[in-house]
Amino acid sequence: MLFENTIVTVISLSTPLIIAVIGETISEKSGVINLSAEGTIMISALSGFAFGYITDFAIIGFLAGMLTGSIIAAFISYCDIKLRMDQIAVGFVLTILCIDLSNYLGQDYVRINGPMVTKFAIPFISKIPILGNVFFNHSLITYFSILLIPISWFFLNKTNLGLSIRASGENPLAASSRGINVKKMRMFGTIIGGALLGLAGASFSLYTKYGWSESHTANYGWIILAIVIFGGWNPFRAAAGAYGFGLLQVLAIKAQTVTLALSQILPLLPFPIMIFILIFIQYINRSERNKFPKFLISILGGNQPEALGRKLPEDVK
Amino acid sequence: MNKNIQLIQINFIRLVLTLAIIFFVLTLFGTSPISIFDSIIYGSMGSYSKFIRTLIVWAPISLASVALIYTFSAGMWNIGIEGQIIMGAVGATFVARSFFGDTIISPYVQILFALGFGGFWGLICGVLKVKGNVHEIFSGLGLDFVASGIVIYLIIGPWKREGIASTSGTDVFDKASWIPTIGQNEFPLLLILIIFVLYIFSFFIFKYTSFGLRLKATGVNEDAAERFYFSSGKYILLSFFIAGAIAGLAGFSQASGAYHKLVPSISGGFGFLSILIVLICSRNIFFTLIISFLFSALIVGGSQLQIKLGLDHSLIGIIQALFVLSWLILEKLKLEKILLSKIIRSNE
Repeated sequence: MLFENTIVTVISLSTPLIIAVIGETISEKSGVINLSAEGTIMISALSGFAFGYITDFAIIGFLAGMLTGSIIAAFISYCDIKLRMDQIAVGFVLTILCIDLSNYLGQDYVRINGPMVTKFAIPFISKIPILGNVFFNHSLITYFSILLIPISWFFLNKTNLGLSIRASGENPLAASSRGINVKKMRMFGTIIGGALLGLAGASFSLYTKYGWSESHTANYGWIILAIVIFGGWNPFRAAAGAYGFGLLQVLAIKAQTVTLALSQILPLLPFPIMIFILIFIQYINRSERNKFPKFLISILGGNQPEALGRKLPEDVK
Repeated sequence: MNKNIQLIQINFIRLVLTLAIIFFVLTLFGTSPISIFDSIIYGSMGSYSKFIRTLIVWAPISLASVALIYTFSAGMWNIGIEGQIIMGAVGATFVARSFFGDTIISPYVQILFALGFGGFWGLICGVLKVKGNVHEIFSGLGLDFVASGIVIYLIIGPWKREGIASTSGTDVFDKASWIPTIGQNEFPLLLILIIFVLYIFSFFIFKYTSFGLRLKATGVNEDAAERFYFSSGKYILLSFFIAGAIAGLAGFSQASGAYHKLVPSISGGFGFLSILIVLICSRNIFFTLIISFLFSALIVGGSQLQIKLGLDHSLIGIIQALFVLSWLILEKLKLEKILLSKIIRSNE
């Protein structure tokens, strides 16, 4: 029973993380580090909650969150491609701006009640003992987050559009000479990713961490940047990382009664793990591949997009 | 036309445009920009004691900013600066709690430890970059959080206050460990001296030494560095070590000058703020000194906004970030150049 409850909590706690991690993965696959994740998630959490509160429809809140996220991503994309600015600089400044903007604009929404996302048990299959309760008795947004994992994998690996996005993030020049509109792809990937980050923000304030307060989603944006790397830019592994972090959070809450120090430090664990993964990825890439057992590579390896964080070359059309 | 004069004109026009954008946004928020800036100026420089408070905030920000000039020159994004500030504060606290704590030499030993701790933390980033090819943004971000984890652990664990384990901070340092000040209003002479020495030192490094030149060459093009027979890796490592060490001093200033103890959020977000500052100063030492002071004045003056005008202090962060964002975009749009040439043409 305890075990079952823990899984249920982990799945619903991880909902926004899954969405955000996949959004950031798509963005980074197109070659753009959306460093504004921390700010984007926070201000979309506010806009999601505020619009949900004003209209009394949670769905409007989710849409508002998505819109907010995509506007910010579009702005980064414009600065990156049209103005040829450093995407990292723009993302960084936007993070700081959005955090303070959400704290300023959100003052009227602190600790009030708005629309709430309720659980939706899927008829029949939710009646299956144990499994039914664990997997099929959640809110709609949680189902969406679970479905998003295979969908995004399929999108990135099996569709033309997804492959074009990846090509633009790996080698813009080669992609461009193959007739791919690299600028458009990069913009598209960034905006889709931003929309998902925004949706993640809204699902914090409308579901997982209901309501709004100052710095409501603090540090989640930085954490998802770490989880994307943990996931090696693969949606399935990224999702596993997000669930792992959800489990850490549950453990941290449980540990609170035992030791205060542990509960404060557990949520920081993704960061050192991220660094080790990065070292390992680079190490594998430089040494003979078959030196390592295959399972180790599939758990710890990863394909960092070659052009990640770089400006597009001048002659890319 | 003289190139320098044109540069000043362009920057002046840009400043006016940036301020116009900020005024516009503040008006959009339904606030009065004039009364906001009036209250900020009064709150940060209205009296000698307020000015001292601004200096105490300015010290860590100016130190972190000059630290960042080294890494930015080498083309590195030192997002790990927050962690380096935090570790500097840990080093200072370590000394303050040791047998040095109640001796008169405590602050000077703290400086050494802050330099060492911060430098070490910066160096990790550098080693990961040079030896492991790990993007410095991710390692820096990771190390920031690891550092804050260490601080939380120390405060709740080994360095906890008598009997209470809370996240409110360690015991207050012995008076001897505070950064020495002068006069009744506690003018932080030692800190100000450190800042000016470091700024002048850095100015000479970048202007007159081959070290500074090579650092900048590394930032422009790593391959170029190799063509001139010096290892860019060495310069990247050095830039991270120096930046970390100076950032460590910022942590020392926070722990022993501002709080007089170690608290969980000891860096106060000043590391990230310094990144914003250095972004608009394009590595100009003199601009960095001025802008870091103006931003500190905004922070100190902004703490009065709530009492005087009933406005949330987050407005200050908005003003700062908006300033930097508008500045960076205007720089790319080159509107000023067009404007300037129009003005000149209309005069002729």
